Amino acid sequence: MSPWQSFLEAREIWQVPLTASVIAGALLGALGVYVVLRRTVFVSAALTQLSTLGLVAALLVEERIHIETEQSGVQLAVAIAVSVAGALVLGAIRFRRLPAEAAVGGVWVVASALVVLGASLLAHAAHDLGGLVFGNAVAVPSSDLVIIAAVAAVCLLVHGFFAKELTFVSFDAETARALGVRVGLWDSLLFLTIGLAIPVTARALGALPVFAFLTLPAAAALLGRAGYRAAFPVAAAIGVVAAGGGYVLSWLWEIPTGATMVAIAGVILLPGAVIRLRG
Amino acid sequence: MTEPLVGLEKASVGYGRTPLLTGIDFAVGAGDFLAVVGPNGGGKTTIVRSALGALPLLAGRRTGRRPLRIGYVPQREHVDAIWPLRAGEVALMGRVPGLGPWRRPGPADRAAVRKAMERVGIEDLHDEPYGDLSGGQRQRTLIARALAADPELLVLDEPTNGMDPSAELATMDLLRDLHHNGELAIAMVSHRLEAVANYARTLAFVDKAQSLFRTGGLEEMLQPEALSALYGRAVHVRELEGRKLVYPVERRPEVVR
Repeated sequence: MSPWQSFLEAREIWQVPLTASVIAGALLGALGVYVVLRRTVFVSAALTQLSTLGLVAALLVEERIHIETEQSGVQLAVAIAVSVAGALVLGAIRFRRLPAEAAVGGVWVVASALVVLGASLLAHAAHDLGGLVFGNAVAVPSSDLVIIAAVAAVCLLVHGFFAKELTFVSFDAETARALGVRVGLWDSLLFLTIGLAIPVTARALGALPVFAFLTLPAAAALLGRAGYRAAFPVAAAIGVVAAGGGYVLSWLWEIPTGATMVAIAGVILLPGAVIRLRG
Repeated sequence: MTEPLVGLEKASVGYGRTPLLTGIDFAVGAGDFLAVVGPNGGGKTTIVRSALGALPLLAGRRTGRRPLRIGYVPQREHVDAIWPLRAGEVALMGRVPGLGPWRRPGPADRAAVRKAMERVGIEDLHDEPYGDLSGGQRQRTLIARALAADPELLVLDEPTNGMDPSAELATMDLLRDLHHNGELAIAMVSHRLEAVANYARTLAFVDKAQSLFRTGGLEEMLQPEALSALYGRAVHVRELEGRKLVYPVERRPEVVR
């Protein structure tokens, strides 16, 4: 039996994780347009680490204080809480004497260090952590698919209804503020959707692919000279191709799923980058 | 006196709790053309943002008409040209505050944008990417965005910053046409007095380093005493072919006997 035939026969195993990956790829790809254009790529990296830190904290509480958090719903709730709080703070942070990048970089590196320290203290749950950090797209439960789909629907509604406000405050916050638009409120709403999307998709894809999907599809769409409105569906489509294609190829070739997804997203980015470099 | 469109009374302005300037009194009335002039980092933009309510006052109070339709033009360099928006899409943002969160731009909004772009002479750039435009065209796009809101007051922050003399003149001529003898009130910030001396009717001199805030009519503010208060040295004003030229005078060393 060829690898392709065996893949098709195993449909019951992969249909939920593949669907979750594809939805996650589309969601993160579209949100990434804001992340890239607002020059907040590093914010998404920091949020991904914060989300992972939330999961580590939940596992530590369970092991050390014997408070029951082993249910995935509780772990996810902690990760969402940490990620959303981080998104709201990092999205609003403005120091007069310090570039915002310095604060974001500080959060990223400290969160990364705390993840490593926390993981070193975990005795039994370290195996869970591997899936949380690097993704476990092969085994996504149906409940996670439902959560990813629900978050994607919420993000779609928010960005559909409030596109003009989110675009205005992201493109030119100074003018929006001068005209009485509540920039802080709209920024918070935008980062709330990003802060929600990161932890729920990180459970399926892993931290590295989530960071990649918030960056590469949007960058590919923009390098391909997609207009502003078109950039969202184009980036979402690239996310779908990279997530779906990466999942299938990783199955067929028996290679790491998350890394394959990122590699495909990178390959899609290349032609536009080469054309821009030449021209 | 008619009700001011926007103004400050006994105001202290600044960021956080530290006042940059105190005791500020000024008002922009219907039909005014005010230029706020001073060195870079002197507090000009802070005063204007405070007057618009974008910055909270540390003391004093804001005056003016509520609600007021304002068109705001930021410094061109503050608007990120990497966004793949077309000039028409940028101009359409001027309609966003008036629409509210639930309404989408309709034919009336698009017609207002076309009219505003026509008014500043860039109607043919409607579908051009904003990032591909020249500095002057971007400036006109941002002015069109402000005009799309059908403002009573147009506020501009350093609209001629970084422009060559020809583009600077063209931009200032455009503002004069928009002002059109008082049809649209204009308040602008500039660090170049010579750029605004032929257009503004009222001047405000601002320099936080000297705790200076002084405002008055054009002729009054172009007197040697007022100019030396701003620049700390003698500044002459001459008229050549109907245009005012403002230039500093070289300090002559005192002769030691």
